[in-house]
Amino acid sequence: MTAIALQFMQSAVVLLFAPLYAGVLARAEALVQCKRGPSVFQPYRDLAKQMRKESAISDSASWIFRAAPFVAFSCYLTVSVIVPIITDEPLPLAFLADLIGGAFVLMLASFSITLAALDTASPLGGLGASRTTWIGSLAEPSLILVFFTVAALSNSDNPYLENHAVASSLSAYTLPTHLLGMVAFFMIVLAENGRIPIDNPAGSTEISMVEESRVLEYSGREYALVKWGSWMKLFLLSSIFMNVFVLPWGLGHADSLLGGLQGTGALAGKLAVCGTLIVIIDSSFAKLRFFRIAEYLGGSFLLALIGIITGYVIRR
Amino acid sequence: MTPPTSADTILLNLASVLILLCAFACLGSKLFDRYLGYYALQSVLLSAAAAIVAADLRDAALWALAVLTLLIKGVGIPIATRRYLVTRLSLKRDAAITLGLSTSLIIGAGLTALAYFAMRPATLPGKLLDTAAVPLAMAVVLLGGLCMVVRRHTIAQLLGWLIVENGVFLGAITLVATFPFIVEAGIFLDLVAGVLIMVALVSGLAQRLATASASDLRSLRG
Repeated sequence: MTAIALQFMQSAVVLLFAPLYAGVLARAEALVQCKRGPSVFQPYRDLAKQMRKESAISDSASWIFRAAPFVAFSCYLTVSVIVPIITDEPLPLAFLADLIGGAFVLMLASFSITLAALDTASPLGGLGASRTTWIGSLAEPSLILVFFTVAALSNSDNPYLENHAVASSLSAYTLPTHLLGMVAFFMIVLAENGRIPIDNPAGSTEISMVEESRVLEYSGREYALVKWGSWMKLFLLSSIFMNVFVLPWGLGHADSLLGGLQGTGALAGKLAVCGTLIVIIDSSFAKLRFFRIAEYLGGSFLLALIGIITGYVIRR
Repeated sequence: MTPPTSADTILLNLASVLILLCAFACLGSKLFDRYLGYYALQSVLLSAAAAIVAADLRDAALWALAVLTLLIKGVGIPIATRRYLVTRLSLKRDAAITLGLSTSLIIGAGLTALAYFAMRPATLPGKLLDTAAVPLAMAVVLLGGLCMVVRRHTIAQLLGWLIVENGVFLGAITLVATFPFIVEAGIFLDLVAGVLIMVALVSGLAQRLATASASDLRSLRG
């Protein structure tokens, strides 16, 4: 019973706090740039406003366009039940997928949005779809290699086992395999969420947009779902990054609701650390030229590869 | 696998991985300001590594080395290079790179793997403080060398040489931490002298030839 309650609690944490995390990031970035910035609750207001509005859908749009936001949103909800977010033991539904399975579900979400962007045949949607697919196809091998660094340490690709392996021994934590995998994964987190070296999250210039141009055609309720989904993705990947790689400690025990509450509190602190990192990078780097993105993601791939090689050599 | 146990070993491990990452960052960036920033960060991490070894061995000379590293390499050289070379010659973007960044990063990864295969931690004597840092130090040396080969601009080559020196220093404090202080201090003097000579030479070159890139040397062939 407790486990089921915790399962709901974990998804609720992701659902409810993802907009807050995005709002805090936007506010912090504005403060760093000496601007006042929107309130941290602005994403909630945006969601409420968009939910009330009716959505205009192009005549040429098929059912794919209508279904995509729901598919993507449910994909992110699915990921929220299988990864360690507030508890250190797997919750009842965590058997659904391991890290690679989670990556597949995330890809499915991205895929459905890409299809929807192509569906209305608007030029900007096609542009965004082609760009995100290109970036995604470069990020994927690197992501798989990061999972292999995880496997080199914990002999599994289960995020909970990796968390235990790293949390229980500091020596495993400081192995080059883990540290290089951590950096590589962080580069992927930035790329997957369209943060600064890849894409400007606050940008509204059509010609250089990557993530945003896929969802330009959406409005009203569908747009709210798509935005909410992308905030959840940022929240989910940041918490995986913190809970599995950077700070594997402080997760709540899965035997009482109190553990869940404690885990939520710890998660807030960890996300503050991750958010600080993201804000520092956002405000000290410029967006990369489009064809240099391949170099960036190649760097991430290589770091993970070196991590695996060192793991293999040290082990023998 | 013999997992490191003491807290010092773990910290040293962490510092050496970060030092390696700094070398990679240097190899993968194109702006002179960034090179210098990464080099300064690497030197600060190196002095932290020296301090860890000093704390472990309770060696006053090593403490002095850590402080010297911080002052000379972490602060002195980056500031001097920035003020007298990068700003004075208004250098921004390094255009004189022979290979693409991805290619040089791939070669760098290969060199790191080579360092690991050449210096397997298992084959090193067991009583070292941190056996995992030795192949990392070797990799930093190789990456610095790669920087010097790939980059044609004199200042980028200077920084590559400084990275090689950092790698040697890291290997030295992990492998033979008890070598005489006077030797290491002498190396520091050499380093300072080297940087000073480079500053004088490069400013002179740039004044006379309006460039300091070695890629133009080819046209001087007889």
